[in-house]
Amino acid sequence: MNRNGNECVRESLGDYVLVRVRGEVDLSWSQQVRRAILDALGETGKVGVDLSEVSYIDSSGIAALVEGFQNARGKGQQFGLVAVSGAVLAVLRLARLDRVFPLFPDVESARAG
Amino acid sequence: MNAAPPNAAFAGERRALGFLAELSRGLALSLDLDQTLRLAVTRIAEFMQAEAASLFLIDPASGLLECRNCAGPVDIAGLKLAVGQGVVGRCVAENATQIVRDARSDARVNARVDAETGFVTRSILCAPLATAQGAIGALEVINRRDGGLFDEADAELLGLIAAPAALAIHNAQLAAGLLEQQRIKRELALARRMQKSLLPRRRRGDFPLLGVNLPAHEISGDFYDYFDRADGRLGFVIGDVSGKGLDAAFLMVRVGSLLRSAGKHAASPARWLAEVNAELCGLLTDGRFVCAAVGMYDRAGGRVGVASAGFPPALLHDGARFEELAATGPPLGILAEADYAEHELELGARALYLFSDGATDVRAAAADRLGSQGLRELIARHAALAPEPRLRALLGELKRLRLVDDTTLLLLQEPAGSAAQTLLDLVFPARAEQMRTVRAALRAALDAEEVAPELRDRLVLAVDEACTNIIRHAYCGGEGETIALHLAREQDMLVFELRDSAPPVDPGKLKPRDLAECRPGGLGLPFIDALMDEWQVSPAADGKGNVLCMRKRLVVGEHE
Repeated sequence: MNRNGNECVRESLGDYVLVRVRGEVDLSWSQQVRRAILDALGETGKVGVDLSEVSYIDSSGIAALVEGFQNARGKGQQFGLVAVSGAVLAVLRLARLDRVFPLFPDVESARAG
Repeated sequence: MNAAPPNAAFAGERRALGFLAELSRGLALSLDLDQTLRLAVTRIAEFMQAEAASLFLIDPASGLLECRNCAGPVDIAGLKLAVGQGVVGRCVAENATQIVRDARSDARVNARVDAETGFVTRSILCAPLATAQGAIGALEVINRRDGGLFDEADAELLGLIAAPAALAIHNAQLAAGLLEQQRIKRELALARRMQKSLLPRRRRGDFPLLGVNLPAHEISGDFYDYFDRADGRLGFVIGDVSGKGLDAAFLMVRVGSLLRSAGKHAASPARWLAEVNAELCGLLTDGRFVCAAVGMYDRAGGRVGVASAGFPPALLHDGARFEELAATGPPLGILAEADYAEHELELGARALYLFSDGATDVRAAAADRLGSQGLRELIARHAALAPEPRLRALLGELKRLRLVDDTTLLLLQEPAGSAAQTLLDLVFPARAEQMRTVRAALRAALDAEEVAPELRDRLVLAVDEACTNIIRHAYCGGEGETIALHLAREQDMLVFELRDSAPPVDPGKLKPRDLAECRPGGLGLPFIDALMDEWQVSPAADGKGNVLCMRKRLVVGEHE
């Protein structure tokens, strides 16, 4: 965790990898989020991104999520967003992506697909 | 053909018909009715085999009958009679043909002309010029040439002749009246335009005076004016000239220019009125007078002085309470030595209303007058509006009520928030790591304006996207550059301005892509486009860098 409270950690739950993102996702570190998601997809076929602790996300953060989703779909992998916070959902709606991503209320339902 | 030989009566009718046809044609085709009538009267005298004939018409101005044309030994043209007086007067009053078989013994006959001229009137026949609106005059013939007395057959014949004459004269009078009305209307419209051109031009933008003049008729005795004084104060005046119509309007023009020239150099509103009063007392001798209120407003100091010469009380409104500023002296043009006092006050955000008595004389539906109280209620009802729409709303209400006098309103009020209010001024390094702090500052500024949280977050996102675009694309990630963010509020409009010192951006290349495509990049501009009401990029005024200006109007109860 950096001094701003921004954090991106990888959590393995068997064959499922959950990327937990915290803080305000903006241009200053969205590349780290992007890298974490792409790395997780390189490791396993089932990836979720937990966004419950994200209080802000900008277009570069959204772009990282879109890239992960497109990569996974290209390889037939499973990719979903978990426990999306209100702040993130508002931006997903604005980008008209709220119906593109598979959204799950919690990690259990995400793992079940 | 087995036509019967024409008998005497038949020959008479043929003659009458021929004469009537000729007379009617002459009247109908006449370009100069007076000349045609002069000829017609002579022809009528001949046709009726009378010694004299005359045509009388009612003069609309005097209501008297006047002899317009005559034929015969005595010229009575110009002779005037009251309706009801004499044979002609009675003919018109009763709208019925009069036969005087023996003039010497008939009480209807006015013996004066005979006495003055030596003419001997024996027998008179007089037929009215009848129209749907009653008789407009009469046609009179005197003395049969054969020495006989006029009979019923003669009366019938004269009646036949009078009918087309009445028609032609009436038509000509209507046409002339119509032309006259049109001329007056054109002239009044011209006078109105000239009068309006004397009112001051409406000043756009951040100007504290608004005036309006609604004449009850084409022209008005009311006026208002405002102008810049050499000392930096604004001079303003509203006035009402006694009387109505053209006279009042001309006086208004004169008084208006007098007030303006005195208002430019007078030291105070009281002195201003005193000077104009002294001048007008020498000018107005016919009982006319002028009510006026004048004022000087110091915008920088926020102070206003008002003096009033018999003008209705000014109303000072702070949005909740009214204060009345009464007249400080008599109307102008009555007492040469009159003294005027003045009100001196701090205007602040208050509104000062000056209105001619036309505004309070407006008739409310059933009630007597709207009155000062009614006007206060109208003002209070629209107090929440900005000055301009408020004045429009007041006018609309006054128009709905019936206007019985010229109505003039002058409103003095500083436009609220017209000077943009700065909410945030930030200059920060053009680095992504700075954006967190910038967003926090922006959130705080928007919270202070009580912007709803959903909208606040969207606006923060838009500004963030704009900044990251500058960092990534305008500066291309270069170090050591800065961005200046300026947030201002203009009434309900939020204005976000971002300045950079990057090379010029081609605004034509900034096209937001369609959000319906699902791809990772290029979302920043579509976000801005969706979140703001409008945005534009232009080169900075000093030629260094670009300015992105984004606007968002705050709507009460804004929802997604």
